Amino acid sequence: MNKRLEQALNCEPSDRVPFLPAIYEHKAWFVGETPSRVCRDVNLFTTAMFAEYERVQPDALTVGMDVYNVEAEAVGSKVLYYRGEDSSVPALAPEGAVFRGSEDVASLKMPDPKKDGRMPLNLEVARNVVRVLGREVPIRGAVSGPFSLAAHLVGPEHLFMLTVTHPRLVKDLVGFSAEAIKRYGEAFIDLGCGVVIFDSQASPELLSPQMYREFVLQPTQNIIKYFQQAGASHVPLIIGGNTTKIIDSYLETGANNILCDAKADSKEFLEKCSKARRAFRRNLDSANFLEAKPEELRRRASAMLQESQGFAGFIAGTSVVPYGTPLANLLAIRETVQEYSRGG
Amino acid sequence: MTMNELDELAQCLGQGQTKRVADLTQQLLDKGVGPQRILNEGLIAGMAVVGEKMRSGEMYLPEVLQAASGMQASLRLLKPYLVKEGAQPLGKILLGTVKGDMHDIGKNLVGIMLQGAGFEIVDLGLNVPPQKFIEAITDHTPAIVGLSAMLTTTMLNMKTTIDAIGAAGLRSQVKVIVGGAPVSQKFAEEIGADGYARDAVLAVDKVKQLLGVSAQG
Repeated sequence: MNKRLEQALNCEPSDRVPFLPAIYEHKAWFVGETPSRVCRDVNLFTTAMFAEYERVQPDALTVGMDVYNVEAEAVGSKVLYYRGEDSSVPALAPEGAVFRGSEDVASLKMPDPKKDGRMPLNLEVARNVVRVLGREVPIRGAVSGPFSLAAHLVGPEHLFMLTVTHPRLVKDLVGFSAEAIKRYGEAFIDLGCGVVIFDSQASPELLSPQMYREFVLQPTQNIIKYFQQAGASHVPLIIGGNTTKIIDSYLETGANNILCDAKADSKEFLEKCSKARRAFRRNLDSANFLEAKPEELRRRASAMLQESQGFAGFIAGTSVVPYGTPLANLLAIRETVQEYSRGG
Repeated sequence: MTMNELDELAQCLGQGQTKRVADLTQQLLDKGVGPQRILNEGLIAGMAVVGEKMRSGEMYLPEVLQAASGMQASLRLLKPYLVKEGAQPLGKILLGTVKGDMHDIGKNLVGIMLQGAGFEIVDLGLNVPPQKFIEAITDHTPAIVGLSAMLTTTMLNMKTTIDAIGAAGLRSQVKVIVGGAPVSQKFAEEIGADGYARDAVLAVDKVKQLLGVSAQG
């Protein structure tokens, strides 16, 4: 088993900085298919995961493609899939939210990971990947964070409005979401996987730090504690955008690996995470990955690595890798990480 | 008295008091205050403060959406009066979220703000392919096309759309502005857009600037 990531998550020295590019829809590209087809086909999805590992050799694999849709769809929200060769990422359909906001949250159906939506398919993929690669590389299941799931149950704009007009309802909906996430995450843990929580709708780019504390912090703490008690020693929490304003709450969630996205202040993360002995993943902005030259990405990756200042809990990552990114570009970043860690 | 009520209207708008905003608008109309004045000195003034507070981190999306909801409620009341006055739109703006992107909160806010500022809006919705933009430019002859994207992975479709508009021979007929969480001025320049705005209030300023419309509308 690759111990590199484990060591970084414990903020202990390792042979090199771990490399965790955010590859979700791009998995489909590895098998020459569209995300809409791969995310609904257990064999294609499994093959795509193997291809990702073989070609990119990240220091962990994440079972997830359209990560924010799975739980919401299992509850009853409608997801838009694309036809033909359209490589767009499946998303919550317009008017697809299952919850209207006027009914009781208790009327929502709690999803069963063994039966509902694509949860069983994703768990099957995880089972396949663990069977083949489980001894080589950490494998984690992607789950929504509670605020992001609530957004996909009632619609993002509606949820943001409700935080002002009906805060009690939002708390109930986030609470329901937390329970659904616990069930799904536990099913991954039972297969020998870790769990990664994604909650970018709770980013301070959208929600105030006060609202984060009011609506999101406690349910997130509960989820993380639950996963840790269920056997996941490490639970990363991914919130995109500039999260510098919520870094204290972020650390209070109990996640032992948080995200310092490309827009966030890496100095602040370095200072606070070092003090808290908490690992963080720094993201290289992926906006120009499709057309960038490998040399440019080497330079940018190198500059990013300098930010780590030798902190053992530093993990090199990327924001979401666009579908179709040339392999040479991902390898250029990976090689830069490897060279840096050898003293480059 | 009227001045105070216009100030109050602006203030209530910023506080997200949708019903109070609608009530005040009706009261002002009943008193014979001109709809254009209510728009400029109440709604637009109020939303300008909202924009400033959003940029300074005093307000976040939930409060901004509440303010926009108040603005919409007020605009619904003002519209018949504006039509009666024969007020002409300042220009026609085509809006859409680019192909592959299902996020429309930002685009909707821009649409509401532009409408409030006196522009006519043609909203193509979300997940709009380049061809649909091209057809709409031909059908509606807008002065400006506004492209929105929320994801780093879909913002690349802004370039595809601008390139397609160019390939269709329509680029010289329209100005293109872009916006959305991952978008920047630098990116806008790289993809050949005419303008970028980081929020809905600044989008109105940018549109006015591109069309040579004075700040007073």
